[in-house]
Amino acid sequence: MSAFTIFSYTLADAGPVPRPMPVFNLVAQDSSSFTISDLHRFTLVNFVYLNCPDVCHKVNNKIEEIYHEFDSTIVPSKLGFLTISFDLANDDIRKLNKYREYFGEDLRGWTFALPHGLSEVQFDKILKEIGIWAHRVPDRGIINHSIYMFLVDEHQTIVKTLDPARLSNAEIINQISQCIPGVAHAN
Amino acid sequence: MQTKLASGIVVALVIALFYIVSFPLNTWLSATMPRHQIIQLPAMIFLGVLLAMPLHRLQVKDTAWGIALLIYVMASLVFWMLPHSIDYAFVETWFNRLMHVNMVTVGLLITAVMRGIRFEVKILFIGMVASMLMATGVALRSFNILLCSSYSIDQQRETGMYVILIGVAVYILTVVTFGRMLRANRLRQTQ
Repeated sequence: MSAFTIFSYTLADAGPVPRPMPVFNLVAQDSSSFTISDLHRFTLVNFVYLNCPDVCHKVNNKIEEIYHEFDSTIVPSKLGFLTISFDLANDDIRKLNKYREYFGEDLRGWTFALPHGLSEVQFDKILKEIGIWAHRVPDRGIINHSIYMFLVDEHQTIVKTLDPARLSNAEIINQISQCIPGVAHAN
Repeated sequence: MQTKLASGIVVALVIALFYIVSFPLNTWLSATMPRHQIIQLPAMIFLGVLLAMPLHRLQVKDTAWGIALLIYVMASLVFWMLPHSIDYAFVETWFNRLMHVNMVTVGLLITAVMRGIRFEVKILFIGMVASMLMATGVALRSFNILLCSSYSIDQQRETGMYVILIGVAVYILTVVTFGRMLRANRLRQTQ
């Protein structure tokens, strides 16, 4: 059944969780460089591109709701959010920073980032290792992609894969809470 | 001589149409899911049927062989309806052309088997195709998640509606064929 869609196939092909999250260089919205291993906390990672006609924004709206469900004792000390852009050709730090502002002024613990020092081919390879399908449609500026979110622990291990198309906010919050020691969410 | 000429014209026509659908029109036909699944895929099956027209001797009378070939036909149809296959056909042009060749073969085989196989198998096969199409159509229309990364959810639902309509049409064809065959059998028995 995992081969039914290209999304599920790519995810299954990456292997079962827990599995290591590939470490690669990123640049945050404030131009600081980092890797996931620098975060030292659980991080919910998702992938978007800013020219996406709809689905990326819907997923980020969902993440925004989830982000606000966690109180300040959990985010950002125990849990962080990381939104990474696929679009190495069109997205830049300025656009990413402006996009981040749509979600509010105080977004401590929610980082928007771009891969750094990687070609599209190298980044696509990393995406496949993570379990994300992404295909740039030639001449149309569209990227067909999976919308899975990945919960990465402080040791850069993917401990949970979450599908925002199938899971409600409450289910996602519950699954995240179960993974983080000392976090028992009322949802 | 005239038959050979007619056969030659049909074969040339099929090759020309295959080239047009598979090469110059491929980008346009692959641009949306309804075009890909409702126009391009059946067009290739139709070309296979057309190719079989002048080949009168191409028929499968043996029931075992006929059923085996129809299973191959069904498996091919199912394979090219899988979202994963559709996505890969969108991404890789060679894979899309593999689908074209496979669908022409399917059209050719359907004609060959339908010419010679017994009535019961024919009805069973058409009925199964109708059921499969209707079930696929309902799934495409009712799923709230995107199945093919290459197309939108609106196109997925639109394709589902057309697939249901084709399924219903094939089902009506099954009933009509069944009725006609039954009447023909009765007439034969009374004579």
